[in-house]
This record gives sequence, C-alpha cells and structure tokens, in this order.
Amino acid sequence: MTSSRLPRGGRVERSKSVRFTFDGKAYSGHPGDTLASALLASGITLFGRSFKYHRPRGVFAAGSDEPNALVTVLSGDVREPNVRATELEIHDGLVTQSQNRFPSLDHDFMAINQLAGPLFSAGFYYKTFMGPAIGPLRGTRFWMFCEKFIRRAAGLGKAGTAPDPDRYERMNAWCDVLVVGSGPAGLIAAEAAAGTGARVIIAEERPLPGGSLLASAETIDGRDPSVWAREKAAALAAMPNVRFLTRTSVWGYYDGNVLTAIEHVSDFKPNRTKGQPRQRHWIIRTGKTILATGAFERPMVFPGNDCPGVMLADAVRRFALEYGVAAGSNVTLFTNNDSAYEAARALSLAGVNIVAIVDVRADVSGACRDIATAANAELLTGHAVTGTHAGKTLSSITVQHFNAETCRVSGAPREIRTDCLGVSGGWSPAIHLASQAGGKPEWDEDLQAFLPPEPNQNWVVTGAAAGYMDTISVLSDAATKGSAKSRLILPPVEAPMLDASPAPVFQIEPSAKSQKAFVDFQHDVTADDVRLAYREGFHSVEHLKRYTTLGMATDQGKTSNVPGLAIMADARGISIPEAGTTRFRPPFTPVSFGALAGERYGDLRPHRLTPMHDWHLANGAKMYEAGLWHRPMIYGSHGETVEQAYVREARAVRQSVGIVDVSTLGKIDIQGPDAAELLDRVYTNMFSTLPVGKARYGLMLREDGLAFDDGTTWRLGETQFLMTTTTANAGPVMQHLEYYLDCIWPELRVHLTSVTDVWAGTAVAGPKARALLEACVTGTKVDNDTLPFMGIVHSKIEGVPVMVCRLSFSGELAYEVYCGSGYGTRVWEALLTAGKPFDVMPYGLEALGTLRIEKGHVTGAEIDGRASAHDLHLDWMLSKKKPFIGSAMLGREGLKDENRLSLVGLVSLDNQAITGGSHIVTDARPREPADSFGHVTAACYSPALGKYIALALVKHGTSMIGNRAFATDLLRGRHCPVEIVSHHMYDPEGSRMHG
Amino acid sequence: MAELQSPIGSAYVTGDHGNAAGGVGVTIRERIGLSIIQITAWSDTIPEVLTAIGSATGLVLQNKPGLGRVAGEKSVFGFAPGRYFVVAATPELELRLRSVISADLATIIDLTHGRTVIRVSGPDAEWVLSKLFAIDFSEHAFPIAYGRATLHHDIHANIQHIDDETFDLYVFRTFARSFWKTLGHAAEEVGYKVE
Repeated sequence: MTSSRLPRGGRVERSKSVRFTFDGKAYSGHPGDTLASALLASGITLFGRSFKYHRPRGVFAAGSDEPNALVTVLSGDVREPNVRATELEIHDGLVTQSQNRFPSLDHDFMAINQLAGPLFSAGFYYKTFMGPAIGPLRGTRFWMFCEKFIRRAAGLGKAGTAPDPDRYERMNAWCDVLVVGSGPAGLIAAEAAAGTGARVIIAEERPLPGGSLLASAETIDGRDPSVWAREKAAALAAMPNVRFLTRTSVWGYYDGNVLTAIEHVSDFKPNRTKGQPRQRHWIIRTGKTILATGAFERPMVFPGNDCPGVMLADAVRRFALEYGVAAGSNVTLFTNNDSAYEAARALSLAGVNIVAIVDVRADVSGACRDIATAANAELLTGHAVTGTHAGKTLSSITVQHFNAETCRVSGAPREIRTDCLGVSGGWSPAIHLASQAGGKPEWDEDLQAFLPPEPNQNWVVTGAAAGYMDTISVLSDAATKGSAKSRLILPPVEAPMLDASPAPVFQIEPSAKSQKAFVDFQHDVTADDVRLAYREGFHSVEHLKRYTTLGMATDQGKTSNVPGLAIMADARGISIPEAGTTRFRPPFTPVSFGALAGERYGDLRPHRLTPMHDWHLANGAKMYEAGLWHRPMIYGSHGETVEQAYVREARAVRQSVGIVDVSTLGKIDIQGPDAAELLDRVYTNMFSTLPVGKARYGLMLREDGLAFDDGTTWRLGETQFLMTTTTANAGPVMQHLEYYLDCIWPELRVHLTSVTDVWAGTAVAGPKARALLEACVTGTKVDNDTLPFMGIVHSKIEGVPVMVCRLSFSGELAYEVYCGSGYGTRVWEALLTAGKPFDVMPYGLEALGTLRIEKGHVTGAEIDGRASAHDLHLDWMLSKKKPFIGSAMLGREGLKDENRLSLVGLVSLDNQAITGGSHIVTDARPREPADSFGHVTAACYSPALGKYIALALVKHGTSMIGNRAFATDLLRGRHCPVEIVSHHMYDPEGSRMHG
Repeated sequence: MAELQSPIGSAYVTGDHGNAAGGVGVTIRERIGLSIIQITAWSDTIPEVLTAIGSATGLVLQNKPGLGRVAGEKSVFGFAPGRYFVVAATPELELRLRSVISADLATIIDLTHGRTVIRVSGPDAEWVLSKLFAIDFSEHAFPIAYGRATLHHDIHANIQHIDDETFDLYVFRTFARSFWKTLGHAAEEVGYKVE
C-alpha cells in the first residue's frame, strides 16, 4: 500500500496524526481529513459494494453528492449506516465498516450477482414476484418467501438495534436573511445583507467556509481564494448581527420561509463536553432566503464508468487541493466542457501527474489547449472513453474517436494506462431547496442544466446555483442579490477564460456490446435500465423514477438525475425539458431520526403529575400513564396481584370509605353574563336553572348527534361555573367551547380559562365518607341538609380553603374535595388522617373502574365517538325545551336504527375473567365464532357481586337482557360464556349514593 | 396558612450543573410566593381595565399587543386580546384588583395554584430558551417587559421578558417538574446554576 499524500498542499494539519479503523484495520490521517481522503491517502480505493450487483465501488465525489463510498460508523453497540465517507471527519478512535458485502469487502461472495445481471434489470421485483391468481405461489406468497434472502443480498448499510445514546437538540431561530452556502456567492451575499444591519444566518454544510474556493487555482484580491474566503468568513462571524453555522446542512424548505437544517455539533469529536448534543436540528424562520448552494458536477455515462478510480473531475481536484491527496498517480480527465481544464490546471499546480485530457468536443479553446500543454497532458479532442479496465482499482481506459454532433463512436480503441479518471459531464446547479420551495425548474440550453424556478416566496438564488459559473459573475450577482442597497467593492479575480457550457453529450454508447454503463451508482441503475423502462411504457419521469429507482436513496439523484432524464428524452425522441424533471423533496441530505425526534422521548417528553404524585409513589402506588398523566393504578402490597389489590381497594370503598386522586379531571372556569346561556347550548340538559351552590351532571353531543363528553358542572356564582370534563377530553372540550365562542356565538359575553392545574381534587367515597368529612371539615356542616346530593359547600380543612361537592362516580355516598393545587398533598393527608378510625384506604384507577362498572356509569370506553345518548341510556338527559349542539341530528335515520349497539352488563358464567375488547357472539364454538353482535368495553372482578362482570355494547341491548352468549377474544384465546344483564349491576335504585 | 408545595419537588437541586466548569450560561430558579391573577377584559372595556390595573398595581399599560411592565416583584403583561397576567408577591392582589374591576369590565381568576413561575437569566438565556420555544427571543422582536403566549412540547406557556438576560416562564403546574427537567437538560450545554 503506497501513500497518495502529496508532499504539500491541503488544509489538513500535517503535524498531527489521527488514528481510526476501517473494516478492522488501523489507519491514520490528519485532523481535517475525511474518511475518504484519509483512506485514499493510505492507498485504499475500494470503499464498498454496489446495491444489487455487488460491484466494487470507490469514492466518486468529494462531498454530499457521494453515491458510492457509504460506510457504517460503529460506536459501542450502536451502528450508524450509510454515512458518506466524503463527509465523515476522522477523529481518534473512529471505527468504520464497509457495507453490503460478505464475508469481506475484498472477497464478496455476492459479487456473483454480477453474472446474473440481466435478471436484475429494472422492474425485477414486479416481474418476478407478482404471483399467479391461483396455486401455492398465488398473490405475494413467492415474494414473502424470497424477501428475507433478497434483503440480505441487496441493499445499503444495516441499521443497528441498540438504543442510540447520543443527545440531539432542536433549535428555533429567526433572522432577516438566511444565506445557504458560504462559497464565493454566499460570502458576498451575506456581507451585502449584513452590511445593511439585517440579522443574518449563514449555514455552511462543510467544516470550512469557502465552497468552491477551497479547491481553486484562481486568485481573489491577489491571494489564494481559500485564504480570502477564510478571512471574509471570520469578519462576518465577528459581526454582532451574523450567526455563522458550519457543518450545517439546510435540508428542507417549507412554506412561510421556514427552513430546516442539521448542525453536526460534535459528530467529528472523539469526546463531547457535558451536555453537548451530537446534532442540532435548526428550524429557521427567515424574512429572506439567499440560496448560494453552488452546483454539482455530473458524470457522463459510459461503459465501465463505475469502477474504483473513476470519479468526478472536481472530486479529484478537491482531494488534491483540500486534503493534499492525489486520487491517482496518473490521472486522466474526460470531459464535455472547459471546467475539467481548470481542474487539470489546479491538479498540475498541486503536483498531480495528468496523463491525458479526453474531450468529446472536436475542438477546444486556446485557453484549454494552453492548460493541457502546461500540464504536460496529451489532449485528445473528439474522443470519448468507451471502456475501463479495473480490478479493485482502475488500471487503464479505452478511448475512441467520438462525434459530438452524432454521438457516434468510431475508429479503433486505444488503451491509456491510468489509475484515476476524472469525469466532467457539465454542472447541475444545486436547485434542490428552490425546487422544494415550489415551482418548476427551467432548462438552460447553454448550461444543459435545470435552473431554479421563479421564486414563490421571498427567496433568491445566486452564484453557481443560479447558473453563474465563473467567479467574477458569481461575486457580482451575489452582491446584488444580497442587498439591493449593496455598495460592496468587489475584489479582483484572476482566472483563465474558460466556458462552462458543455457539449450536449450525456452518454457514450459504443457500437458493440460492452460493459454496463451506470446512471445511478447508488441503486445500480444502468442506461439500459432507463431504456427498458421506456420500452415497457414507463415514459414519465415520475414513472421512470419509481420503476427503476433512479434518483432515490441517500444521494437523491444528485449525480444521476440529469443523465437519466437525458437518456429517457433521447429514447422518446424529445428534448430534456420536454421530458421534465421530478420535484426535489426534503431532505436534501439524510437526516437522522434522532435529530428529528429531538428530545421528545423518555424522561424528556412531557409528563403530567398531580399535586399528590410524590405521595402516591411514596406509598406504594403502581403508576399508570394515561395520556400524559401519571395516575395511581393500585396501591399494591407485597406479593399482591393487581386484581387482588383493586378488589381490596374497591371492597374497602363499598364497606367503609376510600379516597382517590381525581385531580386529572378537566376543569374549565366559565365566567360572564352569558355563561349559563353557553352551557344551555353545549349541554343537552338545562343549566340556566341550576341554583348557585349546586352541581349538575351534563352530557355534551357532537354536531352529528353522537355523545361527546360528560361531567358535572358546578355553579359557583350567578355568572361563574366550574365545568369538569373527563380526563381524556379536557383539551377537546376546551377547544370545542372556544371554537363556538370565537366563531359561532361571538356575541356571547363569556370567558373560558382552563383551571385543571389550579385545583387538586380528591374523591371521598363510601358509607363512611360523610363521617370522614365531619372529622376534618371546618366552617360548615356536611350533613344531608347542608350538603345534599349535588350540593356544594365552601369550607376549610386544616385551614386550607376547600370546595366540597357531593357527587358520586362510584355509586356510594361520595364527595369531591377541591383545594388549591399547592395544598393538594396537605389536604389529601388530612383526609387520610381523619379517615383512620374508618380504615380509610386510598384507591387507584383499577378500583375506580371497578366501582363504576358495577354501577354502570359510562366513561370514554363507552362514549367512544360512535355511541349516542340513547345507546348509553342517557336519553333522559336530552332536553325537549331547548336546542343544543347535536339536537338537530338526533332524529336522523342512523341514530334511530334498531340495530344500534346499546349498553348492557355481562356476568361471566364460568367464573373466569372476561377480557376487554372481546366480541359478543352466540356460537359456542371457540375457533369459529359466528358474527359479532357487540363488544366488551370494560371488565373487572366485582367484589360487591362476587363475579367477573363487564360492560358491553350489543345489538338490541335491553331486549337481550336475560340471554346467554359468549364473549370471545381470539387474540387471547378466551371464549367466555356470559349472561347479558342490566348495566346497573349494583344498587340500581341509587339508595347508597343518595343516602 | 401553610406554604404552597412546589410541584418541582425533588427535581429542584441547587448548585451548578452541566458544563459549568468554565462558568454558567444561565441561572434558573422558581419564583415562589407570588399571586398570579388573570384578568380578561371584554372587547369594549380594555382601556378601562388597563386603567384599573394601573390604579391597583401602579403598573400602567397601553393597549398594545403583548405590552407589559415590570417593577421589582410586580409585573403585568398581556398575552391575548384583552387578557393579562398581573403578578405580585402580595396575597391580597386578587382582592385589590376585584375592588377596582367589576364584572362589567372583566372576569378575574386566580391562577396562583395553576402556574409555576421559573426565572431564567444569564448570557445564554436566549440560546437555551430557543431550544424549547418557537418564538424569537431577540429584543427587537420581544422587547423587555413584553409578554408572550407560546408552547413548549405543544403545551401552553407564557413568557415575560424581564431584562436583557432574564425571562420569566409561566408553565402549567402539573407539567412544571417535567418542564424543569427539560429546561435543565437544555441548559447543560452552557452550564447552569439552580438558585
């Protein structure tokens, strides 16, 4: 292995060494190297195996457009696949691995796929796995059989399964001007904008500013352009109104001038400081966007164009000038335009040997000839590369005469010994973000490329991205587009007079059968595949993309898009703009899921805790996450099952008294002279008649007449109500009310405020509930006269002001005690202390559910968006004296259907549990039950009844009472005989709660 | 009466945290002992309500979206049309406001128990808060003393800009501990002190 590091040049720190591994072997490079440059410097040219054919592939580009050199980065058990070696900065301890090979990169068994190439042409999956209508392989069965083998044989990197330990952050930013890119255009545009005092953010995807100037042999202001760029960037970064983000890829452009970017904060560091994220996801809202995204060099399509050693001419130049690495010891350039001559000049000055320049054009300018002569390179005009010879790296190429007018190859082939072929097929402005923003790209005949569409938001495109391909034009354009007020004095530029307009040559088709010619390297799409798609009727570029996968995967067609379109246009006999182009979509470069998820998982996602949360934990509560809330499920004793615990708790409530945390109930303060009128309109029953100091159970319907939510609403004053909602519907009910007040009834003088967080709520339930309150409530009596059913009193417990309302969800004599949340634990503990003589017991959600199932009270399980008031036996709450939301729809046919499901109770007949979600069937055969005529909504063991019971919604509910059926649960293998009973299974007269 | 229990609980750990070796970027603390009163004027009574708030608190406001005033522990700011937070370390604040604001002018609700006020101050306050809130914290977009209604993790919160480097965050009490942890996590990068 020989080093390809040039004796001088590049921006790596040659005095320092960095050690890393690739496929288990140790290598070293310098700070500033990418994995690609460091491996190339170490003589490595084989980086990976291709997607389908497992062909050997090397580095092709030098930046985010790299389609081939994808590696997996390993960190402990974590593996990140498909990282571009051309962007991966090396650091001490970096561990990398090549992809899609077995057992090794050098000896890949699956390379046998190359022999079966014709089988794997475009549409392979569709043709092979569309099974017959009948037979053992019908439908997708054959695909199901083959899938695992195919997935193992083809693909890119393999994602890991270990949790990602890294931290990611989200950042919101505002600016007047966002400049994307810090090449010559970006720097000048940013300077012009910042000079006006505007707040400017500059986002540069690479570690260093400068873009194309980092690998330029021109001079700006008499200096190395990379030095000019560095100084310009430093001056900008020092301005108080400028934020300069490097290693930041802007990947999405959305409406309202919102752009998204990923900043690689510490990917490149061996160690991170405490709290430092790996990546930061920026959401940038900008007044104006300046897209100075440059251009991507594109390849030409010719036989054998994918072997290691064939790369973009610009990449060869960048490796030499940016990293001091010669991509080959004898480099040949193949081009259809002048930019390769600029590359030749830069390479020659850097000390890279140029063997020849092969140009498809019959003639070239004097400037080009001068460069070829100065570089001591043979100039072969009117020639094209028609083949390559390579094992794991390029050894020679074949060239033949070529007529750029007819695109015909002729004459005898000639072999040229070369180990690196730099190809330039012209330049494609990086219009991805502009395309995402909207509009149709416009074809430029001179550049043979798509230019950005007309802006539909406040954005401009400048520099090479706008089609300006020489530095002088770029600077001038950028100054103007940076700010119309700009009075920048632009620096002088010294550059050869070259023309970036390419000859319209995209593919070299040899006359005889030859090697494969690849269009999309990442997905192994060949020119023949594109033509096959045409022959099979997939003419549209959208169909072409989907049929062949051209332009998909991690590089999103940065190098393949235009050549693919050109070949399709040629096949169809139309021009490229007539063939059109697909619209680019986010992301411009791959974005990790970690960065998108940010910090909205685990302990960092929102958790909602009641005021008594710590008490629950300290007293053995097993918590249950109900939406964002954490609620006690049971207070378990050692060795007790959940069922044993809730049965114990529910039994205590029925026999004596229990308390439960009901702080999670939605609570809405409703104030104003029209508050009662609002409630009359949203509830099915009347609230304007409710006296002050009383509460009433209310039912809301949706506009379509189906039940929406229920709860009690307390009249605290003539113009003030406290509405309670179910825990789950607190938000939707608030939105519902706000919508009606804002949009439908703006004339009502009512204000709404969510006060869920203001009040801590404790329900005290059981025959001893009143006695418990009498022991701790001061300032008022709580007897039946003072505090009747649905009455409210204001009093104190241990000096803390409380509101006590007598209402019951459990079916027992019960009260809800509300106090300010800051006193929640204090009042909770005071209630427990007062209840000690009665063996008061805290109970959780499971017992709460048990008590209400026994009683037949409904919750969200029954008010499920499909049930009507009638279905739930709540039609007694539908006022006939007033209209209310949903009343107009109550008479519709669907709600009158006698086959509707309605609420019943079930009792298990085999003394085993009924499982929630079971279907109600009549058939006794467990394996093939007949049609379902209902389902279980909630189930439990009833300590009061000594049976397993359930609530269910069934057809002809009430008339089915007394019948027997089965509750069948095919998932859990349960087929339970049940008797259908009234949903009021416990104390149907209500004597206990009214007592 | 007993002291109000902080919802932050054991998550409130005083001292330096995160990358604080080279100094802290922000200091955070819970402001306790405040009365937080929400006043909502009717659409045709806003000027009278602002006058009344001024007479009760000495904090005179103009009718301008988001405008606020800060004077020591007292503050007031608007965050929705006709809707204001009036805050002071005075238990009698609600009574004082009710004495000058009748039901004809506005509705009044005491949210003291429902909100937790977290003060974030320091040179990196904007940086840290920008990780959590999608609003522009720069002074020209969010002037000192102004208030905002915004969201963290899709959950409502209010923010008042107190001075160059200080913001008061009003978060729902039931989310306060969760938010406190998230805030600390976001501040680890710059180092933070809990007072």
